Amino acid sequence: MVEELDRWADPPLLVLASLADEPRHGYAIIQDVAQTMGVHLSAGTLYAVISRLEARGLIEPLTRDGRRRPYAITATGAEELAQQSERMRQVARVARARLSTRTGMAGA
Amino acid sequence: MSDRRNAPDPQPEAPLLARAVVALYPPAWRARYRQEALELLCDLDCGMRAAASMAWRAVPAWLWPPRHLHDRAERMRASLAAALVAWSMLAGLGLVFEQLTQQQPIRPPGHAVIGWSYAVFDGAFVLSGLILAAGGLPLWLLMLRRARRLRSARDTVYLLLPALAPAAFLGGVAILARFISNPDGIGPWWFLAVTMAGFGAAATAAAGPGLALRRLRPRGPAVRLATTACALATATMLLAGVASVIAGAGLSAWARGFAGYHQAAPIGVYLVLVVAAGTVAAVSAGRGARAARR
Repeated sequence: MVEELDRWADPPLLVLASLADEPRHGYAIIQDVAQTMGVHLSAGTLYAVISRLEARGLIEPLTRDGRRRPYAITATGAEELAQQSERMRQVARVARARLSTRTGMAGA
Repeated sequence: MSDRRNAPDPQPEAPLLARAVVALYPPAWRARYRQEALELLCDLDCGMRAAASMAWRAVPAWLWPPRHLHDRAERMRASLAAALVAWSMLAGLGLVFEQLTQQQPIRPPGHAVIGWSYAVFDGAFVLSGLILAAGGLPLWLLMLRRARRLRSARDTVYLLLPALAPAAFLGGVAILARFISNPDGIGPWWFLAVTMAGFGAAATAAAGPGLALRRLRPRGPAVRLATTACALATATMLLAGVASVIAGAGLSAWARGFAGYHQAAPIGVYLVLVVAAGTVAAVSAGRGARAARR
């Protein structure tokens, strides 16, 4: 069930969140998302997302580091991430409040 | 695109599987992401799972190419060149259908669906050719003028191929017909050889303007008009293709005593070829039309 719910995770949002603190290249993004958010991004998904985010100006490529190319979040990308995070925070707040009500009812 | 020139050489140690899956992507995508995608696959030990995910994602990269990787005119030119070749294959298949059905001396028993399919096929086929000719003429003239100004004999020949290739094919068929005095017409192997030569001529005729587009790199309203016309011509040719398949299936079902239409294999092969050429034509023309609309 948890694995099924993982599919709901929005890969563009995960990549933006991974790049929020510092630029990362593809492999580092995959590792960071897996370690900090518990979601495994496949190579194909990652490059589809990178291409889409770059086209929308939400991330930008930096100068190559050897053969790897790091990406950085842009100002627009940071703004978009902040908006999405706020929306997720509201969803999480509502979900927690309703689950606690449900738990309270079950305990009564 | 300048990244491509400045990029380090491709990793000689990149596994064949990694290089194969990255090769599935469109050229513009490869020019931009090939190096780093190969590096990532190497980092992931290029397992089957990573390779499969890369291969699967190549499909949307072809269908919905990233906008930032192309300039608009280049995408229109590339799509136009690919759609032209696919359109010529569809047209060739249509002519084969015409030859094997309506041009036969013995008419199959009439049926409303077959009759209507013939009418739709004829109308759509002619309309498609007219749309393509009318929409492509300004671009063709523009490129011809540029080729003459540049004194490029090669580009001039490329641009004349749509006339030269069919003329050479028809000339060859006319000469062949003089040597074959069989009252029943040519045999199946000769027919196959002539048909293959016809497809070769059609592909050559379509490839000529495509090569000229790549070399002369025209821009402006003429490219947009030709791309839009090509999309319309493809749509009408696809309609003709559908009508021909319906007519072929109708002949197979309702005219079983006529010629070889009771055999499922020819109509099956025809259907596969129409679907293959139609898919390439529709995808290419659609990409071009989207670029022209922006």
